[in-house]
Amino acid sequence: MNMHAQPQRTLAETALIDAFGERLSLLPGDGAVMTKRDDAIEAIKHGLPTRRIESWHYTDLRRMLTKVPVFEADAVAKALEPVLDGAAVLPVLNGVSSTKMPEIEGVTVQRLSEKLTDGSVAPGLDRYGADDAIGALNTAFVADGYFVDIADGTELENAIELQNLQAGGQAHVRLLARVGAGAKAIIVERQAGEADENGGALVSSVSQLVIGEGAEVTWLIVQEQPDTATHLAQFKAHLGKDAKLTLFVMNAGGKLVRQEVVVRTTGEGADFKLRGINLLAGDTHTDTTMVLDHAVPHTSSTEVMRNVVTGRARGVFQGRINVHQYAQKTNAKMACNTLLLSDDGEFSTKPELEIFADDVVCGHGATVTEIDHDHLFYLMARGIDEKTARGLLVKAFVAEVIEELEDDALVDALEARLDGWFLTHG
Amino acid sequence: MPAVQETIDRVRKIDVDQYKFGFQTEIETDKAPKGLNEDIIRLISAKKREPDWMLEWRLGAFRRWLTLEEPTWARVKYPKIDFQDIHYYAAPKSSPGPKSLDEVDPELLKVYEKLGIPLKEQEILAGVQKADASELEEANDNVYKSGRVAVDAVFDSVSVVTTFKKELAEAGVIFCSISEAIREHPELVQKYLGSVVPTSDNFYATLNSAVFTDGSFVFVPKGVRCPMELSTYFRINERNTGQFERTLIIAEEGAYVSYLEGCTAPQRDENQLHAAVVELIALDDAEIKYSTVQNWYPGDAEGKGGVYNFVTKRGDCRGDRSKISWTQVETGSAITWKYPSCILRGDDSSGEFYSIAVSNGYQQVDSGTKMIHLGKNTSSRIISKGIAAGFSQNTYRGQVSAHRKAANARNFTNCDSLLIGDQCGAHTVPYMEAKNATAKFEHEATTSKISEDQKFYVMQRGIPEEEAIALIVNGFVKDVIQQLPMEFAVEAQKLIGISLEGSVG
Repeated sequence: MNMHAQPQRTLAETALIDAFGERLSLLPGDGAVMTKRDDAIEAIKHGLPTRRIESWHYTDLRRMLTKVPVFEADAVAKALEPVLDGAAVLPVLNGVSSTKMPEIEGVTVQRLSEKLTDGSVAPGLDRYGADDAIGALNTAFVADGYFVDIADGTELENAIELQNLQAGGQAHVRLLARVGAGAKAIIVERQAGEADENGGALVSSVSQLVIGEGAEVTWLIVQEQPDTATHLAQFKAHLGKDAKLTLFVMNAGGKLVRQEVVVRTTGEGADFKLRGINLLAGDTHTDTTMVLDHAVPHTSSTEVMRNVVTGRARGVFQGRINVHQYAQKTNAKMACNTLLLSDDGEFSTKPELEIFADDVVCGHGATVTEIDHDHLFYLMARGIDEKTARGLLVKAFVAEVIEELEDDALVDALEARLDGWFLTHG
Repeated sequence: MPAVQETIDRVRKIDVDQYKFGFQTEIETDKAPKGLNEDIIRLISAKKREPDWMLEWRLGAFRRWLTLEEPTWARVKYPKIDFQDIHYYAAPKSSPGPKSLDEVDPELLKVYEKLGIPLKEQEILAGVQKADASELEEANDNVYKSGRVAVDAVFDSVSVVTTFKKELAEAGVIFCSISEAIREHPELVQKYLGSVVPTSDNFYATLNSAVFTDGSFVFVPKGVRCPMELSTYFRINERNTGQFERTLIIAEEGAYVSYLEGCTAPQRDENQLHAAVVELIALDDAEIKYSTVQNWYPGDAEGKGGVYNFVTKRGDCRGDRSKISWTQVETGSAITWKYPSCILRGDDSSGEFYSIAVSNGYQQVDSGTKMIHLGKNTSSRIISKGIAAGFSQNTYRGQVSAHRKAANARNFTNCDSLLIGDQCGAHTVPYMEAKNATAKFEHEATTSKISEDQKFYVMQRGIPEEEAIALIVNGFVKDVIQQLPMEFAVEAQKLIGISLEGSVG
């Protein structure tokens, strides 16, 4: 994945390559899957991406990934209460899925390890580009996860929550979902773990979603890793004709986090919404990178990111909207707003438009600022102390994105998580 | 725009390929052999009668260049350039100054005529040795009603002549070719050259440092407001030559200068290389306004030929309360790779970037700016208008960054793109990096086509489609045109009309 020959492998690169050699015999997969694994580790042997690779400009993985923990077979993680009441929970604990499947009408769930063994998921293991380091890392090591199939026309009453939880070591998980034509579902992707003494887990997680004609999906990514964890995640989706996807990403943890969102509209009339909040604190690095392809005519998308940066945190948002030549009548809008609350925090943003069709309306806006002094004054003039006033303003800034979600239960659940974060990070 | 029909007519008269300046001038030239090595650099340095330190500086840059790789991150595609297949030095043959216009090489005069330089100016440009002050005044009055412009004309590698030197000297302003400055004001050149764009900066800037042949030098001393607009015409004439000009502008405390460069080249099948470096330095309370009208040959309708324009332009707001403003109208070149930038080092300094980039045919433009906020209370403003037509690719690439100590940094960025036709592409790649909590950055960008409603509104008043589009486009770019000095605003509007010729139907 790196054009420039690396003079010497870093400790992390060496550790990954060695780990692959050791784990190989334990990894499930038929011939096709194993070939993909070999290709993927070859890519890693060429070096992890550096800042010279454009899509990794602000997250120099080669420099930042300093340590790779060993696989801990005896680590124990426990499933969590779901974010939404009544949701069916599908946990992956320390990289291993459960054998107990919930029974939901119209929904078939399979363990991914089985799908790897029979090779049926092999075509989906390809990387999406030469610089797809997360895809490579995951393909090389993925051992388990789930495949959720929601039949055509199924309207789920309760949400499905996919949990990926670790108590240290390494975990490489894939969560696949197919939502059939006309179906309706809320899916929560929970990424969390327990802090361990050995310096934090290394997690890679790839979610792949295919949405059929006229289906509607709300997918929530709630990432609350401990502040020692390295979390490399990818969300990929294909939207069919008239399909609707609302993706909500909440990053509120992790030491080194990269969440990639790769979405492609493949059917006319598809609509994609990305709503995201990044709550960044401590000495952490969080990167949200989106690549959105409008590949067919008459599709629309809106993206709104709200970021709060405190402490010595560094945040990144890269958003690229590609409008293909054939994709006339595309309507795409993107906004990224950031509140910088501390002198040592930093935020970098790169909203890109790449447009090859002429009959389109595309725009993006980005701002970086501190809390508005007038707003603060307004509240303080009413007898609210500065700390509370600041808290109110910051919360209002991010809550705006949450409130846009139409489902009350969703809004309440997310605001509760938001409050939790503010409680611990003041 | 009433000029549109007139413009269209004129263009039609000139050539089917619609490039107004596509004439080649048959002037005897003195060329260095093709290729690049230390001997060529020694030759250039000797031709320019440069002091030893300058030669060493060049050689240092050349050795550095040998270690560098061509950058590939820009969104432009072109066959690999053979840097050994270029003449790095070409000069019109010199002879003692002519006594009157009759003695001047008529070919040279034709060039000026085609460039639209008036007769009296032509005399001066051609170096006719009779111009006294009063005549100059007269010349000026005839030429520019709204103000006077001193011109430095650069042909291939050599500055042909600089006008109004005497009058500028009276005000204390030094305006001459950079080679002359190296000989006559070495202390200034040594102090400032390479202090904004170091020899190790990037592939093309380093190449330029090694082989630059000419360019302009401007020095405006403390407290002086330069009495007239300064201007340079660059023209690549000779076949297979590269033009590497170097411009250095220094405004001392409280000084002000407005500078304009215009560029043209004849039509050629092969690609010509242009790799310039421009350095601006503004000390306390100084202001520099730098405008560019770039109209290098863009290649023909099939995308053959055209100039590769790889330019490094950077301004350093070194002093407190200083200001640097870039305005550019980019209509030419097969490939443009250009990011005029401001380093806002002084407290309360400000930087501006106004750009119109028009691409048609198979042109590729990757242009934008960098605003680096280092000092306190610095502000910057970016207005970029990109217009893509035909099969062209038009990219805005810009960076705004606030460093740790840049308290209260402010930036406003607006980049709009207009697409004409469904075979072209418009791209926006802004980078925003805030490392200070008191920074306030705003960025907005839009991409769309000319709405049918707008076009219908104009056309139903009896205006033909092509003119209607030119009219709407000129409205689209008005914010930037307003930043140009008057004389050039008119020229720029016409150029945009010409560039978009043939983009409809």
